[in-house]
Amino acid sequence: MKFDLSILAKHVPFLLEGAWLTFQTCLLAVLGSLILGTLVAAARTSASPQLNRLSAVYVDIFRNIPFIVQLFFFYFGLPEIGIYIDAFTTGVIAMSIAGGAFTSDVIRSGILAIDPGIIEAAQVSGLKKSTIFRKIVMPIALRASVRPLGSVFINLILTSSILSTITLNELTGSAKIVASQTFRPFEVYFVLLVAYAALTWFVSILIGMLHRYLNRNQAEGAV
Amino acid sequence: MISIAGLRKSFGAAIVLNGIDLEIRQGEVVSVLGSSGSGKSTLIRCINGLEKIDAGKITVDNFDVSKPRELSEARKRSGTVFQLFNLYPHMTAVQNVALAPVEVLKVPRKQAEAEARELLRSVGLSERADAYPAQLSGGQRQRVGICRALAMKPSYLLLDEVTSALDPEMTAEVLSILANLAKGGTTMVFVTHEIEFARSISTRIAFLDKGQMIADLPTKEFFSDKGMALPRVAQFLSKMRKD
Ligand SMILES: Nc1ncnc2c1ncn2[C@@H]1O[C@H](COP(=O)(O)OP(=O)(O)OP(=O)(O)O)[C@@H](O)[C@H]1O
Ligand SMILES: [Mg+2]
Repeated sequence: MKFDLSILAKHVPFLLEGAWLTFQTCLLAVLGSLILGTLVAAARTSASPQLNRLSAVYVDIFRNIPFIVQLFFFYFGLPEIGIYIDAFTTGVIAMSIAGGAFTSDVIRSGILAIDPGIIEAAQVSGLKKSTIFRKIVMPIALRASVRPLGSVFINLILTSSILSTITLNELTGSAKIVASQTFRPFEVYFVLLVAYAALTWFVSILIGMLHRYLNRNQAEGAV
Repeated sequence: MISIAGLRKSFGAAIVLNGIDLEIRQGEVVSVLGSSGSGKSTLIRCINGLEKIDAGKITVDNFDVSKPRELSEARKRSGTVFQLFNLYPHMTAVQNVALAPVEVLKVPRKQAEAEARELLRSVGLSERADAYPAQLSGGQRQRVGICRALAMKPSYLLLDEVTSALDPEMTAEVLSILANLAKGGTTMVFVTHEIEFARSISTRIAFLDKGQMIADLPTKEFFSDKGMALPRVAQFLSKMRKD
């Protein structure tokens, strides 16, 4: 068999459509994870024992169940009790919930790493708890967490390929279809391999830049 | 007036403050002296509500710091300067100083930042107003810390060993600012190991020993025979002067 990428040329628009879908689901899932992760991290570091326990349970549950099982439960299980959600929405919700568990863990360690003296300074100056969280805790925790959050988000992008199992023809789903139409799985999956590698490489470069930008004023002696 | 009556505070089995009575009136500069572990920092942390007290009562202008409702009022009236500065690392000097006035006193941001710049100028930091804490020297950071406390226009300034993390040159620059504040009539509770400085700016000296206030005297008397008559004080002063 000859390695020949040119036979894929006419399938490029279809594959790009899949890539676009991957981009959309991932972007929404990253935002969803970030919002959910922030709320859960706030709950886990709050003074309320109930909130602590509730959020810890959430994190434990969703980190300890394979993503594909969560996804099948939402997509194939919920309709049995009358809850129908389309594949795209299910994918975004499932990824946000699973991603939120990991994201909250990262943000929580970012919060715990903050020098308590800084929080005390904010408290004695009379700032409200919610203001301290928004203006002091989150900005410091997020700056410190850019890189580990990046890893979580890259994992999320890779996980999005599993959405092809619930009929969502994102990048991997489209590639499967092209492979079965052309009978050229080697070329198709080779392209897929390169595409994911390029995507995550690109994202990790962006994360590195973001990290340097947000922490540009934090180096000792820099002027 | 800051009024402390019958204050007790323990950490587990360790009794750290054992029945403290102290009153600080407007215009006074009270230095709190005492050997390491005598409870000076804990006393300050009880006044600004960072530690829950076990017994007794602390009021700042009649607001009881043990009552959550009144604590916020009490905190508006006192400003704290910390040994390790505790600046907000993601904010510039100006932003550090202007944050609480904007958020707590609802001063318009423009005005708060202008006032912050003016305060920073008064401590010789106009050039560094837009620098981040990591870009400042220790002495500069502490001057920002002082401005942050002053920005709330507090009636009382609480200072806990604010120069002990600084080298001698930076210590001098911070102490000269505090001396000016004292001269200007700012009320201060000043925890320090700088005995000579305390002597020069204080109206009164409070001496803590093992959680008890064993002396509370006008500065002159504390450093006279009256203070020296107390064995613990005499021992402390002779040791400090040797170091
Ligand atoms: N959070 C805490 N938990 C347990 N023990 C504490 C705590 N804070 C202070 N202590 C203890 O209380 C005692 C008094 O501490 P404190 O920091 O008030 O002393 P200090 O007079 O400020 O000493 P220094 O001059 O060294 O700063 C010490 O024995 C200290 O170990
Ligand atoms: Mg201390």
